[in-house]
Amino acid sequence: MITYSDKPFPDSESLGVLNPYVREWFTKNFSELTPPQKFAFKLISERKNVLITAPTGSGKTMSGFTSIISKLFDYSLDGKLEDKIYCLYVSPLRALNNDVFKNLTRPLNEVYELIKKDKGVKIIKENIKQVTIGVRTGDTTQEERRKMLLKPPNILVTTPESLAILINSEKFVENMKNLEYVITDEIHELANNKRGVHLSLSVARLEEIIGKRLTKIGLGATLHPIDEAAKFLVGYIDGKPDDCVIVDASWSKKLDVVAMSPVKDLIYTEDDVIDKKTYDEINGIIKKAKSTLIFTNTRSGTERVVFNLKKRFGYGEDIAAHHGSLSRESRLEVEELLKKGSLKCVVSSTSLELGVDVGAIENVVQLGSPKSVTRAVQRIGRAGHSFKSIAKGEMIALNRDDLIECTVMLDAALKRHLDSFQVPQNALDVLAQHIIGMSLTKKWNVDDAYSVVRNTYAYHALDNKDFMGLVNYLAGAYVGLESRRVYGKIWYDENERMFGRRGKLAKVIYMLNLGTIPDEVAVNVYQGSKWIGNIEEEFLAKLKVGDIFTLGGRLYQFESAKGMRAQVTEAKASAPTIPPWFSEQLPLSYELADEIGKFREEFSSILKSHIKKKKLKLLSLTAKIPEEAGKYLDKLPADANAKDAIYGYFMEQLLFAKEVPSNKLLLIEATSDPESDKTHVVFHSLYGRRINDALSRALGIALAEIYDTDVGIMVNDNGFVLSVEEEIKLNDKTIMSMISDIEAQGLEKLLKRNIRRTELMKRRFRHVAARSFMILKNYKGWKISVGRQQVNSQILLKAAEEIDPDFPVIKETYREIFNEVMDLPRAEKILSDLKDGKLKFKVIKTPLPSPFSHSMLTFGHADVILMKERHKYLQKLHKLVLQRISEG
Amino acid sequence: MRLNDDIELLDGLPIAFIRSINSLVVADLHLGYEGVMAKSGVFAPKVNSKRIIEELGKAIELTKAQDIIVVGDIKSDFSTVIQDEFNELYDLIEFAKKQRVSITLIKGNHDNFVERYKDSFKLKVYNQEAMLGFYYFFHGEEVPDIKGKGARMLIMGHEHPCIAITNSVGRREKLRCFLHGSYGKIPLLVIPAMNYFSSGTAVNAEPKHSLLAPVLKEGADIDKMHAIAVGFGSTIDFGEVGKLRGL
Repeated sequence: MITYSDKPFPDSESLGVLNPYVREWFTKNFSELTPPQKFAFKLISERKNVLITAPTGSGKTMSGFTSIISKLFDYSLDGKLEDKIYCLYVSPLRALNNDVFKNLTRPLNEVYELIKKDKGVKIIKENIKQVTIGVRTGDTTQEERRKMLLKPPNILVTTPESLAILINSEKFVENMKNLEYVITDEIHELANNKRGVHLSLSVARLEEIIGKRLTKIGLGATLHPIDEAAKFLVGYIDGKPDDCVIVDASWSKKLDVVAMSPVKDLIYTEDDVIDKKTYDEINGIIKKAKSTLIFTNTRSGTERVVFNLKKRFGYGEDIAAHHGSLSRESRLEVEELLKKGSLKCVVSSTSLELGVDVGAIENVVQLGSPKSVTRAVQRIGRAGHSFKSIAKGEMIALNRDDLIECTVMLDAALKRHLDSFQVPQNALDVLAQHIIGMSLTKKWNVDDAYSVVRNTYAYHALDNKDFMGLVNYLAGAYVGLESRRVYGKIWYDENERMFGRRGKLAKVIYMLNLGTIPDEVAVNVYQGSKWIGNIEEEFLAKLKVGDIFTLGGRLYQFESAKGMRAQVTEAKASAPTIPPWFSEQLPLSYELADEIGKFREEFSSILKSHIKKKKLKLLSLTAKIPEEAGKYLDKLPADANAKDAIYGYFMEQLLFAKEVPSNKLLLIEATSDPESDKTHVVFHSLYGRRINDALSRALGIALAEIYDTDVGIMVNDNGFVLSVEEEIKLNDKTIMSMISDIEAQGLEKLLKRNIRRTELMKRRFRHVAARSFMILKNYKGWKISVGRQQVNSQILLKAAEEIDPDFPVIKETYREIFNEVMDLPRAEKILSDLKDGKLKFKVIKTPLPSPFSHSMLTFGHADVILMKERHKYLQKLHKLVLQRISEG
Repeated sequence: MRLNDDIELLDGLPIAFIRSINSLVVADLHLGYEGVMAKSGVFAPKVNSKRIIEELGKAIELTKAQDIIVVGDIKSDFSTVIQDEFNELYDLIEFAKKQRVSITLIKGNHDNFVERYKDSFKLKVYNQEAMLGFYYFFHGEEVPDIKGKGARMLIMGHEHPCIAITNSVGRREKLRCFLHGSYGKIPLLVIPAMNYFSSGTAVNAEPKHSLLAPVLKEGADIDKMHAIAVGFGSTIDFGEVGKLRGL
């Protein structure tokens, strides 16, 4: 059962559970227990499974380790401590592993010193040993590994990938016979992806190997729903979640946050002025604080901000960038400087939101919406090093939608409304790897193996058919008997229902190919035979033929792709249709989207009644915010500029279109483009890109079928636009028939057909095929390049479809796309709600795109710090709208 | 589709039928293809050999042909004959035996060491080229010596020709095609690859110099050749390659 612990134990009780020497060390070094420690010491000493969420600087690591160290010293004092591993610590970051190793070495040494001082020569007589710690990651040298095998550390610090290798080593497993604890750190970074799923299977297998349940401790930043995270941590027993106590100390740090607009008017202020004001604002914050951490949402944004701050205000070595494209060395250097406190400011994309210790940060600035409440809390939580300090953060918005997003996000953060994460369920590729792993250690009865797998949260509901499908695939059942020697990854006897290792090479192949992180490389872009530059693979996967993008400052039109080569032509257009950071930008979370929808609902109804009361028809540019509306806005964490900008935005929309789309109303706007003859059908579906991706494809197909025409699609978090060349008449009936059309064909089926031939499908299939060992990246001395893998995977896909459209590797590819790239279940729900009238929609016709649709139509122009093109177009659209509503 | 009064391109199949010698003509089977891939760690389900036998079965039923001429590359591996190739070759021969047709192989660049099995398999093997009836058959990786042979037409494989077409979703798709034109004054027919996986050379997208076969790089004017596409159950003349560029 999952339970919550909300009453901290008295400090005397918590300290009372510790070994006297450990207690002495602890009280010498710390004046008090931090919030998570007040729960954890006692609970862990009682061998409870515990999930602890807490902000940075709250002594999280020690809350997990102290009782364990104490226990190990107990063993040592009893002369019973063996050279075996008692505790495993797993984190997804090597840097964090090194930190933990360093941070624990000191207490272990100091406690042992205390014992030595007290016991003198008895230490030798009574065989009182030092408790040891060691790190094992991909960076560990052969020599160190050998040593570790001979004399294993009592606490082993490792990564999910290294653990997966270790559990297949007989000698290492021998060293883990005494294992009692597993600590999983940064659980919020593992629970939502295949890496975490991989880890949970390793732990379940480890428990099977050593024949007992382990005490599981999870550490992490805040996440929601927290009880699902707990189930992920502890797994299942006999179909039910194992026991776990949740200690949610994530809100022990107070937040002081505000959303800001650099100027009052985000539309008509000149770019240069907005830029200047933005940087002045940032500079002011940097100047005031001891140290500032700035988050942008992209790597290019990070570089630009550093460049501008240096140029504008003469900063030098006291400012630095930290992001994933930088070398490991330069990142480590920046981290070191941060810890020492010798940096005034660091600018980062995502790399610093994770758990590496960065020392004291006074202030966090976020540029542009980070798209999720949880992420916002994590980032801002980097400010204020101790659990007693306040995390201070400013969020500077870049446009009006962004501003609303930031405001509502911070409001949600203060109200502790987090967005939710999902553990990938029944991922067949990760499981395939583990079945091979299992086959290496012994002969298995398939039912026994199935029940071990079902002890994990990610597979507790796995269908036996899918499991057996995988066993058959791995046994090579898809080729004739004579070829199974080569194709089969495992040996499987159907009659005996037993599987095991196939061939001597199996283990080597397994070790060389395991893992879940796909190989991604740069794609070469050619114009004719001339090389233009590189783009990221994920970016290519999102391109449609005809899309226009920038590369090296010029515009190109995407023509075709083959393997790792993209073919382009010079674009005649003046603006890109797809921004360069498109693949980096994270999608808006559904929960936050819903909160914004609620805000739109509430705020617009206040304004509606104001408009009605005052019989307003035209927009007054000088009008003050009416009292009711002002009161409502005052409750939100936004500055004065922001409130003015939000108010103006809503009034424009209401006066122009009479409606504001919200979580209760899906506004569908048929309008025409002032720059071309196109008809745009704008769906103001504020659900985030994952859902809109699915909805827009399906509705796009339906529209194309009804009008027998080509449909262009633009998608973002706030909605999507279907564009057609001719004028069309749209009404409620057309929308209903589009929805019935989709329902009749089945959304999933329809989308499967639609994505079958896309780059997205080809690339995801390659990743899944590699994870499922259908493509071995490293085989008998062969190394297959990513380009080769891509070409080969297309052949594989073709052949696999031919023999079975439900082939496990294909099935998993669609599952991944529909649940991770898109959000098919929610898209389906929205369509059925529309059909049943549970969700209202309204079709309106506008002579020009309404203000709320501008961001969608100019999406391709958007960038972190405003891009000129976009701004020009926006201004033009806006001017036309204003003319109508201010002149009548 | 009828090419002339002696040659028929069988609808929807990458196979030509020549009445006067009562033979089917195919190219580039690459038997053992998946096996060769598997050697480097890519494990594709086996469909190539099965598909080829199905298609040949259809063609034999349709034409009652008594011989299958393979203009090169019956198998995949350059350096040896791997187990999978042997097995699939065996299946093909067994199939031919049952159908009472013979197999004639004009050797291609992938067909090394295939002589080893020619007696046990009763395989007629020609090195590089052969005059059969009025026709000069060759694989295509070398310039043929046709002087004084009085050939009515040259027939080759090797190129794996196809045409690239951008479909309605904006993706480039390839369709296998025959190429029909002339080499000097003599008519030339290029047979598409029978291999199921072959994506082939998009003759309407690639510049002339990046084609594989020397006769297509020089001598034959590729832009003047007709591309006769095969797919979806039919065989249709798409017209001159030159006019299909930029499609």
